[in-house]
Amino acid sequence: MTPELIVCGILLVAITLYAILGGADFGAGVWEFNTAMRSSKKERDLLYRAIGPVWEVNHVWLIFAIVLMFSAFPVVFAALSRALWIPLLLALLGIFARSVGFAFRAYAAGAVRQQAVFGVVFAFASTSTPFFFGACAGAIAGGLDKVDVNGKFDGDYLTGWITPLSVFCSFYAVGLCSYISALFMSCEAMADNDAELTAVWRRRALIMGVILGAFSTLGLVIVANYASELWTGFLSKSLPLVAISTATGLISMLCVWKARYQFAAGAAALTVACVILGWGVAQYPLIVPPNIDVDSAKGPESVLWAMIIVIAAGAVVLGPALGWLFYLFKGQHPNNSKAAATLNKNTATNTSQ
Amino acid sequence: MSDFFAARLQMALTLGTHIIFACFGIGLPLLLIFVEWRFLKTGDELWRTLGKRWSKTFGVLFAVGAVSGTVLSFELGLLWPEFMGTYGAVIGLPFVLEGFAFFLEAIFVGIYLYTWDRLSPRVHWFTAFPIALSGLAGGTFVVAANAWMNVPSGFKLNKDGRIIDVDPMTALFNPGMPAQAAHMIVAALMVTGFMVAAYYAFETLKGRNSEYNRRAMAMGLGMGIISAMLQGPVGHEAGHMVAKYQPIKLAAMEGHFETTDWAPLRIGGIPNMETRETTMAIEIPGGLSMIAFNDPTATVRGLNEFPDEDLPPVAVVHFAFQAMVGIGTMLMGLGLWTLWRVWKKTPIEDNRWLRLRTLWRVWKKMPIEDNRWLLWTIVAAGPLSIVALEAGWIVTEVGRQPWIVHGYMRTSEAVTEAPGVVPLFIVTVSIYAVLVVGTVVTLQLLSHVPMPEPSHDA
Repeated sequence: MTPELIVCGILLVAITLYAILGGADFGAGVWEFNTAMRSSKKERDLLYRAIGPVWEVNHVWLIFAIVLMFSAFPVVFAALSRALWIPLLLALLGIFARSVGFAFRAYAAGAVRQQAVFGVVFAFASTSTPFFFGACAGAIAGGLDKVDVNGKFDGDYLTGWITPLSVFCSFYAVGLCSYISALFMSCEAMADNDAELTAVWRRRALIMGVILGAFSTLGLVIVANYASELWTGFLSKSLPLVAISTATGLISMLCVWKARYQFAAGAAALTVACVILGWGVAQYPLIVPPNIDVDSAKGPESVLWAMIIVIAAGAVVLGPALGWLFYLFKGQHPNNSKAAATLNKNTATNTSQ
Repeated sequence: MSDFFAARLQMALTLGTHIIFACFGIGLPLLLIFVEWRFLKTGDELWRTLGKRWSKTFGVLFAVGAVSGTVLSFELGLLWPEFMGTYGAVIGLPFVLEGFAFFLEAIFVGIYLYTWDRLSPRVHWFTAFPIALSGLAGGTFVVAANAWMNVPSGFKLNKDGRIIDVDPMTALFNPGMPAQAAHMIVAALMVTGFMVAAYYAFETLKGRNSEYNRRAMAMGLGMGIISAMLQGPVGHEAGHMVAKYQPIKLAAMEGHFETTDWAPLRIGGIPNMETRETTMAIEIPGGLSMIAFNDPTATVRGLNEFPDEDLPPVAVVHFAFQAMVGIGTMLMGLGLWTLWRVWKKTPIEDNRWLRLRTLWRVWKKMPIEDNRWLLWTIVAAGPLSIVALEAGWIVTEVGRQPWIVHGYMRTSEAVTEAPGVVPLFIVTVSIYAVLVVGTVVTLQLLSHVPMPEPSHDA
């Protein structure tokens, strides 16, 4: 196993976890956006409470992926920073506004007007961020032929990133986030024993699932027509992964229908993982098609090994810590509903002051 | 304004803002550990109230710091693609380590903030330690990467200009790293301490003279003053490092044009690039030689020894350095003043050790509410410590110009060719203005949420 392959693997894992966990947090905001901020107070409380303790951690997967990329494949980082200048700036703006909007909203408890403003910022930015990240992914997957092997770019900085696939992926990413989020929220509502909210989220998950299914089919058509290299990869190396992602996608829908939300969320997470992994495998050994491949972009082996050792050692500490965090806030134990009750009471007293 | 200059201003603005939030991310957890420890030891609810309050403040500042840090990680590539494309791998290890530190911090911040009433007090206290540790570690690693830009090491270039023979550990522990990291960490503690103290001193001046207020002020002052005293020797070490590895930067800091022995330390003064001298400065003979090499007779190389195209903007660096050192000295003075006031109110007892204990007892009551001069000085010390922090970063960053990697890559070679950097900068200024105002407003709102404040004499 070459070190660059290991790092590629870790990078894909980080991106996948960001897409699933970070995606769910963005998706929650997308639903605020979709429903034009007209969701009830109860709905909103559950939503913000679900994100509260974990969104910072979920966000770190992105930082981790960026750092990995520029340390292990510096040329790729330089190339993407140039070719995706506009969508990356817009995604960054989204991340910025989402985080700030959420934090200020959360801590401005009681100040109704400020909360409303920050809530709108949060909803809007939660939608724009996956939109532009999706565009970046689509632009890379479709191929950036103006990028040379040294990471230089002689295309159009303003419009070079707009391709059929990037446009498709931007909408697809938003849909994916809102679907995963609806599944997670169904679980949360269920854990709260709130039948009404569970029904709301179930309906949303079903609607979004159907839309997403149709979208995926459209996506394959677009890939077949506008990204022939990727299409060849999908049909050969990644065929099993494409098949699994289709199957798990359908299974997750079925589970929602049967009201087995945790299975549905698990299956959907697997779908996302297979889509991302399938994309990676399909274009391997290219990182930024058509000109930059793993071999030409990789950093010195001494650095790659140092990173792998550090990451392995770090995982020993991080794993249990992450586990504890999710156990405390997402685990199925009575403390959580008790904490929920206290939190609601606090919010109520704050508002009355 | 050129795109290049706009990119530099953009970096300066976003980095300069992030540093302030990052300082609280390093300093506040230590204060939290301390006050929660006092609560565990004494059971005095006031300590716990302090901890709860500050943990909310910390929550806001951590969230804002995380996002302003994210901006920087994007900007490294967006603004300086050539730099990252060439040297990204060499400074990769410190950034990966920093990524881990941030991860651990975010996990435990999530736990710490939301479990005040769920975990036992002792376990809750323990969850603050990973936050403090990773704050310190994260700061150290990021500064290590910056120190590497000042003192590049642990790699070679082949004839195509690509890096070879990279030794990540040497790059991480580059010669500039220990002094610069220590200098930054202590500065972070100073900023946190004095800002906390300034807030409560202002509250006291407005007439809110509660025990809660004074104790909070005492905690901030304690941390700020101890760090200010430490910063003297630590900054001195950092000066040695600059003298050894970046003689141009040292000469610019001092407005030192002619190479001489017995080089004077200049206080104030205006460097004139035309006449090549620094006028109107108070000169202490041998002072600069002493600071740079611990020897008043040592020769210090002047700016005239180096080609013009390798010189940083001398006046900016010189003024920033003067501001940093001046404020630092003033803060030490403030420390002595406060200590003296508190000492005077401390009842004399025979046992020396006992007297220290008594000092602590008096210190936490911070009996200075009748001394308005001192209180106003403390109010000023908060913002001034931030000015000193920024001035220090101007010294190290502007002082490194025209290089982005000292001696290897010029900043002008590293900058992006993308269009629209000037409008981007203008947009960023307005967004960051909203960010800073929003943070202040949110903290203000938080401070109005009532909390139980048991008032009794502990």
